[in-house]
Amino acid sequence: MLQVLLSGLTVGTIYGLVAMAFAIVFYVTKVINFATGQLLMVSILLVSGLVKLGLPDWLGIVTGLVAATVLGVATYFIAVRPVLRFDRFSFAWLVSTLGVAIVIQATFALIYGPASQPFPRGLHAIPVRLGPATLTVQEIVTLAVGLLAIVGWHLVRRYTLLGKLGKAISTDPEIASTVGANVTAFAVGAFAIGGFLAGLAGILVGPITYGNPYLGDTYGIFGFIALMIGGIQRPAAAMGGGLVLGVLSIAANTYIGAQASDWFPFVLVLLVLLLTPNGVFASGDQLRRLFRTRRAYQQGVNA
Amino acid sequence: MSATTQTDALVVEGLSGGYDRFDVVHDIAFRVGCGEAVALLGPNGAGKTTVLRAIMGLLRHRRGRIEIDGTDVVAAPPHRIARGLAAMVPEGRRLFVGQSVEDNLRLGGIRLRGDRARTEELLAGVFELFPVIERYRDREATALSGGEQQMVAIGRMMMADPALMLLDEPSLGLAPLAIADLSAALRRLREQDRSILLVEQRVDIALEVCDRIYVLSGGRIVDEGRASDMGAEGRALIDAYLG
Ligand SMILES: Nc1ncnc2c1ncn2[C@@H]1O[C@H](COP(=O)(O)OP(=O)(O)O)[C@@H](O)[C@H]1O
Ligand SMILES: [Mg+2]
Repeated sequence: MLQVLLSGLTVGTIYGLVAMAFAIVFYVTKVINFATGQLLMVSILLVSGLVKLGLPDWLGIVTGLVAATVLGVATYFIAVRPVLRFDRFSFAWLVSTLGVAIVIQATFALIYGPASQPFPRGLHAIPVRLGPATLTVQEIVTLAVGLLAIVGWHLVRRYTLLGKLGKAISTDPEIASTVGANVTAFAVGAFAIGGFLAGLAGILVGPITYGNPYLGDTYGIFGFIALMIGGIQRPAAAMGGGLVLGVLSIAANTYIGAQASDWFPFVLVLLVLLLTPNGVFASGDQLRRLFRTRRAYQQGVNA
Repeated sequence: MSATTQTDALVVEGLSGGYDRFDVVHDIAFRVGCGEAVALLGPNGAGKTTVLRAIMGLLRHRRGRIEIDGTDVVAAPPHRIARGLAAMVPEGRRLFVGQSVEDNLRLGGIRLRGDRARTEELLAGVFELFPVIERYRDREATALSGGEQQMVAIGRMMMADPALMLLDEPSLGLAPLAIADLSAALRRLREQDRSILLVEQRVDIALEVCDRIYVLSGGRIVDEGRASDMGAEGRALIDAYLG
């Protein structure tokens, strides 16, 4: 039971990081970068390849993270900015970011072939007993990174003027630009953060998945499902969606059958979309808004 | 003491521009002196908002000369123009949704984020002009009444401490009492020697607040004059233009 929960949260954090990568890009630009999963794959395969060439693990990891970040930014300049400049309300990014995903995947398939590539075991080789459950140090680091991502996002958005400017861009980019926000710079930053988070998810999950060029599809789709479960409007909720998806998938594997996690997420997201179309955590938001309005109303009456 | 050369706050010459390559304003020329309040009047669809958007850098297709405080900005992006040259109260207010009154104001002054003292001074100035919104500083801005929201929008513009203030129909949709407050606030801004370009449909407010007026119709400037010279005859003429 505890093992299911902890393993679920670990896998869920990976989905959650990918979902956050989607969500942060969407938050600033209202674009979904369909190459996000491929950025995870790139960081894994670069680590595999460089370590195989004899480079130290840490250098491979740094290179993988930098590459995912740079590719994220490149996606913005190649596939997003041109189509939005042509028409601000165009949905052509749907096709163009998918195109980038295909090109990245084909390139890595060409270089690495379809076979599984080894990934350094690193911290994954060290088990830690937690009562009846066992986690590896790598998994504990994963959980910590997830927590850090969510808390960091919350603090920046809530308590810094830069975060509030980001929120202003999210709700009204035009007016935000008239108070001095460089909307393009924020978009570049969002794609960079998205690329970095996807790359980070890759480094964290690499010892479990090893490397292959098609990992981007799997994690892209599961990250997207996590995004749908959590709700696309808020990046912190996207992480929550990942955790829900992770725990329920592992539970399905354990209690329904070994292959259940292949189909279970799709059933789950269908249910979520039918019941709360804005995501599981959006309903909490509506509740809070209701309370806030009531409080404002009461203050108004007392004033 | 040597007199400093007074550049105009705004000089517009030969400005044409519009949307999707169709010009909606043509060969516009006018100026706003330093410390002067100027009104841009005209009927619905005349192109008043388009002119303001061009000055603020929000209109992608624009040609001609737009000089704010001596700097040509016809090719500059809005976030550069926002660095002390111009700030705007947009049509329909457009406060930042989901953020408090105070955050809306501080975002207006974000270009001065390195200068705490100046920011607090400007914030105090806004609250002095609009004591009502100080009481609501922690409330969500879009939960306020229309008149109060308009105060926040004006406050947000003031926080940038710009060389030129642009206001797009601030009276739109306000109750008569709120309009009276607004007019008083605009006059006080004017007395602080701010350079103001005010777009209005309400001729009475424009004449109360401004030194000079321009009349825009069909995307062209068709008339101009001093507000003080506007007798009944002038008003009738403007009213005729405004339809
Ligand atoms: N975003 C837009 N896209 C295309 N045409 C527009 C847009 N905004 C305004 N227009 C057109 O430009 C003309 C001038 O509009 P506007 O500047 O808003 O007038 P005003 O502010 O004087 O009412 C109108 O004919 C209007 O239809
Ligand atoms: Mg208008």
